[in-house]
Amino acid sequence: MLLPVPEEEVRPFDPPPVYAELRKGPQVVRVACPTGIDAWLVSDYAGVREVLGDGRRFSTRPGQAAHVLSGFGAGDGEPVEGSFAQTDGPEHIRIRRNFAPQVSHARRLAELRPMVERITDEAITRMLASPQPYLLHSQFSTAITTAVIAELIGVPPDRHHLLHDAATALFTTSTKPGELRTALEPLWRYLYELIATRRARPGDDVLSRMIELSADSDRPLTDAELTAMNGALLIAGFDTTASMITYGLVCLWNTPGQWERLCAEPGLAVTATEELVRYLAAGTGLLRQAVEDTQVHGQPIRAGDYVVVALQSGNRDPGLHADGDTFDVARKPGPHLGFGHGAHACVGQQIARLELTAVLRALARRVPALHPAVPLEQLEWKKDSVVRGPVELPVRWS
Amino acid sequence: MKVALERDWCIGAGNCALTAPAVFDQDPDDAVVVLLDESPPETERAAVEQAIGRCPAAVIRLLS
Repeated sequence: MLLPVPEEEVRPFDPPPVYAELRKGPQVVRVACPTGIDAWLVSDYAGVREVLGDGRRFSTRPGQAAHVLSGFGAGDGEPVEGSFAQTDGPEHIRIRRNFAPQVSHARRLAELRPMVERITDEAITRMLASPQPYLLHSQFSTAITTAVIAELIGVPPDRHHLLHDAATALFTTSTKPGELRTALEPLWRYLYELIATRRARPGDDVLSRMIELSADSDRPLTDAELTAMNGALLIAGFDTTASMITYGLVCLWNTPGQWERLCAEPGLAVTATEELVRYLAAGTGLLRQAVEDTQVHGQPIRAGDYVVVALQSGNRDPGLHADGDTFDVARKPGPHLGFGHGAHACVGQQIARLELTAVLRALARRVPALHPAVPLEQLEWKKDSVVRGPVELPVRWS
Repeated sequence: MKVALERDWCIGAGNCALTAPAVFDQDPDDAVVVLLDESPPETERAAVEQAIGRCPAAVIRLLS
């Protein structure tokens, strides 16, 4: 069978129905992927958690999306130095621990909250002073998440286009091998310069802190590693979160009573955020490669075989929530696969939570009359990207 | 209730410190989990179980 892919114009918020069948068994089946590789598809919560949670059996070396992104060229060539998303084991942990204090330490997050709230409030004020309909995805969601991640790393506004161009190339399924490196080069070159500047004159940004922190370790981060890490943070840090803001609002507005509930109780922004990430988890799934002969749910998997884990399907597993196909803005937060799982779970997940929560809370408080300016069936959905959601979202308010 | 950690595999995601702040903290230098109380009171059980479920690296164990 072919890898089932999301069809948002048919069912905007749900995975293909075949997943509900697959979860009943066999939970591991052979599929042909868009980039020409064959893989084992794992569709249930326990199976996905098992694969992602065991980096010793399942490697990320081919790249997490090489089953849908041609630009990765699964299996050919060596990952770039410092590309932590394609590194396994202790080496990956070493890189990750340089990141973590800047983006996922509870005290650091408390320090960052005022900045995120200020950027959100400014964006809402700007929107309310603009003519209607307003293009929410490009002018609000993307503007906020770009400003946050750029301020975090210290990239000035006149360089924000570098992030946008790089993200477009990285997440687009039609980008060919070889094209990707060329497309990323301007951002990479800029980051090299920025690293040199920060080594000479440190500031209070993530990049300076990473340089300072790693200088004390027995293996300081190289410029190539710092470039790859900060480049990944910049690219993955704005597009995914912006899409979740836009997609999330469409979901809130189109599930009866949910937006009203949030507006009546803006404190629900915390649970709404977690529920949106659970419910709308990346429909294209993640890729792994078996390191040794092994099995999942009794299905033998040979060393070298590719494995695709279906995050959104796993999150809808009745074993996780009996009513998992229901979107509930007040659902008690619990474990889910929306940020992935295992050593490679989303490194920016706490920043993403911070941004989504701030945006939902502020919109519910300040613009409860916000609503889509076009009917759901007229929305155009991103088709050629692993980051799903509407291409654009015209909105109105009164 | 007894809690144990495998700190070597911690990736500093921070979910435990956000879910059960009375039991878990993070090292300021590498964000790695720090156990504040290895025998937390029974009132913390639900929070600790949540933290175990939400730990991406599966480094927290409940021994009793």
